[in-house]
Amino acid sequence: MRRLPVYLLLDTSGSMRGERIEAVKNGLQVLVSKLRQDPFALESVAISIITFDREVKQVMPLTELETLQLPEIVTPESGPTNMGKALLMLCEKLDTEIIKSSQTQKGDWRPLLFLMTDGKPSDLAQFREAVPKVKSKNLAAIVACAAGAEAQDSYLKELTGNVVHLDTADSSTLMSFFKWVSASIGTGNKTVGTTEDIALPPPPQEVHLVI
Amino acid sequence: MSKTVTVKTAEGKTYQFVDNGSPMQGGMKDVYFSPDKSYVVAFFRDKQDFNSKERLKNIVIKYRKSIFENIGGEYWKDLFCWPYDIVEHNGQTGIIVPVYQKQFFFQQGYNLAAGNFASIKGKEKEGKWFASPQFRSKQFKLHLDKSELGDWGKYIAVCIKISRAVKRMHAAGLAHSDLSYKNVLIDPVTGKAAIIDIDGLVVPGKFPPDVIGTPDFIAPEVMATKYLPKTDPNRKLPNIQTDRHALAVMIYMYLLYRHPLRGGKIHDTDPQKDEELGMGSKALFVEHPTDKSNRPKLNQVKPTHLPWADVAKIPYTVAGPYLKTLFDKAFIDGLHNPAIRPTADEWEQALIKTVDLMQPCQNPNCEQKWFVFDNSTKPCCPFCGTQYRGQLPVLNLYYSPKPGNFRPENHRLMVYSGQNIYQWHSNRKVFPNERLTAEQTKPVADFHFHNGKWILINRKLTSMKDVMEDKEIPIGQSVDITDGKKILLSKEEGGRLVIVQLVNN
Repeated sequence: MRRLPVYLLLDTSGSMRGERIEAVKNGLQVLVSKLRQDPFALESVAISIITFDREVKQVMPLTELETLQLPEIVTPESGPTNMGKALLMLCEKLDTEIIKSSQTQKGDWRPLLFLMTDGKPSDLAQFREAVPKVKSKNLAAIVACAAGAEAQDSYLKELTGNVVHLDTADSSTLMSFFKWVSASIGTGNKTVGTTEDIALPPPPQEVHLVI
Repeated sequence: MSKTVTVKTAEGKTYQFVDNGSPMQGGMKDVYFSPDKSYVVAFFRDKQDFNSKERLKNIVIKYRKSIFENIGGEYWKDLFCWPYDIVEHNGQTGIIVPVYQKQFFFQQGYNLAAGNFASIKGKEKEGKWFASPQFRSKQFKLHLDKSELGDWGKYIAVCIKISRAVKRMHAAGLAHSDLSYKNVLIDPVTGKAAIIDIDGLVVPGKFPPDVIGTPDFIAPEVMATKYLPKTDPNRKLPNIQTDRHALAVMIYMYLLYRHPLRGGKIHDTDPQKDEELGMGSKALFVEHPTDKSNRPKLNQVKPTHLPWADVAKIPYTVAGPYLKTLFDKAFIDGLHNPAIRPTADEWEQALIKTVDLMQPCQNPNCEQKWFVFDNSTKPCCPFCGTQYRGQLPVLNLYYSPKPGNFRPENHRLMVYSGQNIYQWHSNRKVFPNERLTAEQTKPVADFHFHNGKWILINRKLTSMKDVMEDKEIPIGQSVDITDGKKILLSKEEGGRLVIVQLVNN
């Protein structure tokens, strides 16, 4: 049975401290509990979480939805947003954690990546190094979310055409984003239209898709 | 914040729904409850064009009336969740649909231990929960509570309901076009099922489909041609024949908890392409008798999928001879030849005959509780391995094409304590379907194991007769069931003769 790997890259830099990071933690809980109500997701989804601030950590290796336990997520007082390094770590993990299809074994589905930030990459050189690498990994979808007024869409657009901009990064907006993520992960099991594209579900009202 | 919104139909009739900002989302629609939760308002996210609106109108008025306002119409209300009105609101089209009956919501959901970190209590029982092996595996943390799983006999009942509902739609010339465990709610506790999401109905030549279906249920020819433009004559779109494929897949999955085409064969190292080939042009039955290349590879199967993923341990033949024949037709002969796929009516008939072949397992802890008699002298439950002990009578049914002459019907009735004979056994002119009157659903004779032997007590049959002893068996009297016994159940036209075979263990 193929897994559907889902990588969540979350900004934990100083600016996320307080309400925002609490909202993210809450959002993760809602995401997991919603997915655990979806038999399709339970059969296939595996989630990994990578956080980035000054340090980049894989706080949860790729784990099946059934058994995973959400890790503790902490934010430093201040410091840079090493998004580039996080993307480089992602590439490494994709190489080691994803089961590739071979002539004798069915591998995993193409992974999904959701990246959320309330700022911009501080390590621009590494970010620019990482972008083509990530793109070469043949992911099924990359969704980047810019949360709050200080978040900059322009860098994220270098990474993906799917940029979601949240005007505010308060708890209810972030929550609607996480609900949307859970709906996006669940689309695989839904009715497929006669037109060609398998579209993401429409974003919640407070969200603007930046194309 | 929740607010109650009032919406209107074109005729000015009003409906209300509660908007709490986060509707339930289906593939195409956003769904809101009415304030009293007796109906839902489901809005299409995409603007509906003239043709789609025409289709909806036909579904809501013409087709609904043709099914529900005819003789036996009441019966179908349990089997379909059929939209009954159309509203417009802020440029969006919505349909009014009855809420699902209460047995289609989880009472308990997950096992008690899992309740601490997840819950599906109160959620809809979409079929996937019951078609996947892991949700019944104790090794899977989030397995369903035993009280939700029902037994094998109930799944047969569920499949009969689904086949009957699909048969009714097809008889009206309609194709569902998106039959899947998403769009059929089932309750294995009561053996009920209901078809939902009926708004996509396809009428051949009139309303083309706008979906190709749900993965797992899309017919191979539809999958294989999905890249062609919709106008290409070679493009295959959902129709009654693709519904038949989906129905066969569903029945297979509800009885064996695995997919008939998902095996170990690799078609491409790109997972998406592999999926499209494996479900499309290269689709191959996992239990194909000669081409074994798609057998599941047990070393690559999750432990939580066993024993169901092991086709050698639980082959599809456990479903009995009538269903085996249809599975062969659906997944071997008809997989790439849509015209010869079994019809919903054939499935209904075969399932009903299979009910007569079922035997309760003697192991009180058997999870499936029922199994189909394997036509052997040493019958054994294929699910738990318990062998049947004692006398096991099997009744072979014969019909009379002309007076004095009886022919076998390839129809058997297994005997167990509490088993009944009904009118559809005693007379071949009666069929067990939605047209039965209340009186016809009552047993006419019943079996008991009494003083060390099997007896049949006549309750309602007016001309029952022990043929070998040429003796009438009046109402209230019994007859011993012994090997070779011949009993005429009814002298009326269509009346059947039964011949007893006794298996002794």
